[in-house]
Amino acid sequence: MASFGWKRKAGEKVSKSMVQHFVAETEKAEEEGSNQDEDVDWLQVTKKRREVLLEDCGAQSRRLKDEGAQLAEQGRHWEAIKKWDEAIHLTPDNPVLYEMKSQVLSILQEVFPAVEAAEMAQKLRPLWWEGWQTLGRAQLNLGEVDLAVRSFQVAIHLCPSEQSLWQDDLAWARTLQKQHLATKEKMQQEEEARKQILSAPELEEDFDFESDEVLAACEAIAERQTKYEELKKTSVVIDADGNVKNLVAGEGTSASPLPPSKEQFIKVRGL
Amino acid sequence: LLFQYSILFKQEHAHDDAIWTAAWGKSEADGTETIITGSLDDMVKVWKWSDEKLELQWTLEGHQLGVVSVDISHNGAIAASSSLDAHIRLWDLESGKQIKSMDAGPVDAWSVAFSPDSKHIATGSHHGKVNIFGVESGKKEYSLDTRGKFILSIAYSPDGKYLASGAIDGIINIFDIATGKLLHTLEGHAMPIRSLTFSPDSQLLVTASDDGYIKIYDVQHANLAGTLSGHGSWVLNVAFSPDNTHFVSSSSDKSVKVWDAGSRACINTFFDHQDQVWSVKYNSNGSKIISAGDDRAIHIYDCPM
Repeated sequence: MASFGWKRKAGEKVSKSMVQHFVAETEKAEEEGSNQDEDVDWLQVTKKRREVLLEDCGAQSRRLKDEGAQLAEQGRHWEAIKKWDEAIHLTPDNPVLYEMKSQVLSILQEVFPAVEAAEMAQKLRPLWWEGWQTLGRAQLNLGEVDLAVRSFQVAIHLCPSEQSLWQDDLAWARTLQKQHLATKEKMQQEEEARKQILSAPELEEDFDFESDEVLAACEAIAERQTKYEELKKTSVVIDADGNVKNLVAGEGTSASPLPPSKEQFIKVRGL
Repeated sequence: LLFQYSILFKQEHAHDDAIWTAAWGKSEADGTETIITGSLDDMVKVWKWSDEKLELQWTLEGHQLGVVSVDISHNGAIAASSSLDAHIRLWDLESGKQIKSMDAGPVDAWSVAFSPDSKHIATGSHHGKVNIFGVESGKKEYSLDTRGKFILSIAYSPDGKYLASGAIDGIINIFDIATGKLLHTLEGHAMPIRSLTFSPDSQLLVTASDDGYIKIYDVQHANLAGTLSGHGSWVLNVAFSPDNTHFVSSSSDKSVKVWDAGSRACINTFFDHQDQVWSVKYNSNGSKIISAGDDRAIHIYDCPM
């Protein structure tokens, strides 16, 4: 029974009073143990100990989360992230920590880590619309407009009564999506026009250099060239209502729409 | 000999993204069975169910955003779909052509449900109004006001007398359709009600909520007849069997459960989906169940009759 090794290991450097205290404690525990039922559920005991440990981690993590939130509010973003990283170390399954970290990373223009953090939050709590909103915003910052539109839709599907999702997030992301599409179309048009100048169909067959055909062909190419120049001069602009227009460069001041207000961008998640 | 519940057919990758909604209809004209599904990929797909398998008949393009809700008219000829793009579209199921597109206004199209005579479509709205559109006119004809919050779910009673709506704050409203009067307001759940369904005899109303519970109400007296627990997460959809004794539920816990309405016991659980199951429906005689969800798969189950 008395085969615990710690007495021998204690050595001389440990103060005698401590050893005595330990011995007393152990003996007390042994006595209590022997009084108890023979078949103690040791599995339960270790489980309980682990729960106590987990509770401790939880409380510490909460404290670090709150400290981080305060720092973020003061604009001390990197310090906030450090606190949250410590908290994540203690409670790696808490989605709120990743989500808040993502918001602050976005502010710091750390676009890719912001997406990663938001993805983690979303994986840990897939039914949390705010997690999807933050993911969508991070994806938008990364230029992944289509993915952002999808994330905002999932968020709305989970919580359709949330006005900001409709009016700010989805509306804005769709405006950008339209802009991307219009820009892509215009680039295709330009490419097409350029190709037509380089390989004019009129010049493909054999012809007599003195004929009127050459003149006609040259005229056609010149016309295309001016058209191409005009195309190059215009730029795709979207007005505040989301209508796509082709404007000649220099005409009017920059009519680019303002992004939605960011005033409540960082939200402390109380969950 | 007891015939068991079993999975009969799986259509993997039925859409390019999550399937949010499904409906099962039967053509009055030729008796064929049609399933339609709506997805986050903006598409509505029309499937024929014959020889115990699904065959894609049409892919209906038109919605600009995810499709939230679909329904099939009771004669099986027309499908209605609503999308996050705030449009309700009507489709001819035989030709696969769009009949009408109705702009419901911003955030004013969520669940769509055909009235029992299929002359109207009801849809919930942001401000707690149930808007009733005419199928023929393609216009909003009237609305019923719950004076409440965002309406997530809608159901007509099969006898055509009542319309029930479930709101995001957990409130259930029951209207008398003939008079347009609000009959009952039930504070059934504390969380969003994503689905509700009447029994075929219109006596019972079953509700599904994010609180993980299913509740059964006696419609006439607006009494709570039972609270059912069993799902481990949000209950996303409920549908009553045409046999009047069973109903089925689906959940974000990835399961589909069949319940006995009399004993209020869960009599079967299907654990075949990989992700949240957004939609579940019976076919017209109650011999089959369809389910679909975030894993993009459509499942068909056999039910003992």
